[in-house]
Amino acid sequence: MSKFFVLLLGVLASYSFAADFPVEQKNKAFTASSLKVKVGDTVTFKNVDAFNHNIFSLSDAKSFDLGSYPQGQSRSVTMDKPGTVEVECSIHPDMKMTIEVAK
Amino acid sequence: MLNFIFIRKLAVFFMMICPLAVYAEEQAASKPEAEEAVKPESFPPKDSPAAAIIRGETAFKRYCILCHGVNADGKGRAAKNYDPKPANLRASDKNTIYKTMIVTKGGAAMGRSAFMPQWSEELTKEQITDVVTYLNSIAEHPPKD
Repeated sequence: MSKFFVLLLGVLASYSFAADFPVEQKNKAFTASSLKVKVGDTVTFKNVDAFNHNIFSLSDAKSFDLGSYPQGQSRSVTMDKPGTVEVECSIHPDMKMTIEVAK
Repeated sequence: MLNFIFIRKLAVFFMMICPLAVYAEEQAASKPEAEEAVKPESFPPKDSPAAAIIRGETAFKRYCILCHGVNADGKGRAAKNYDPKPANLRASDKNTIYKTMIVTKGGAAMGRSAFMPQWSEELTKEQITDVVTYLNSIAEHPPKD
């Protein structure tokens, strides 16, 4: 039983260390051009523009596409591998940002 | 003696002027060619299909190649992320109206991939028409409409 609580505390501790980094998509740009996070951290992208944005990355450290979404909505992605993640918007080719994911 | 000095000065004057005159003549001769290279008449009229194709290709290469590829064959660098895969637009059998609608409204509205954005938010009607005109121009089987 005590082992269970130790395990539970361990899991809770690991969760408590994971942080959420908010980034806005504003005026066809990300509000942060670069970000440093750790493995397990989440980055949340909120669209504050009056038109749709998309979020995707083709990086080896994290390849994803969170789709397109309108003003007021957010999409999150959790970084599960160390490395450099280049984030882009498929609708606005000039929108780019870099996330450095450390161990 | 005075005449001799005057004639010598005149000769020196002409010797200085002659190279300048030759240079000016060369410049005048080369000018029409330079102007011809940028003559507006060398571009297709704004409302012509040829102009629409040029504008459409520019828009396509800015907004669409990520998924559809520079050759419009569906092999863009982001294609690996998607299922269904981006359409091979060269091989498309869709007509102009369909292409215009899917570019304007996005894939989800047309029962196709939801990853195809609703481009009416980013592109003008003219740009969408231009992109479709460009796609029809490179299609293996151009629509008859």
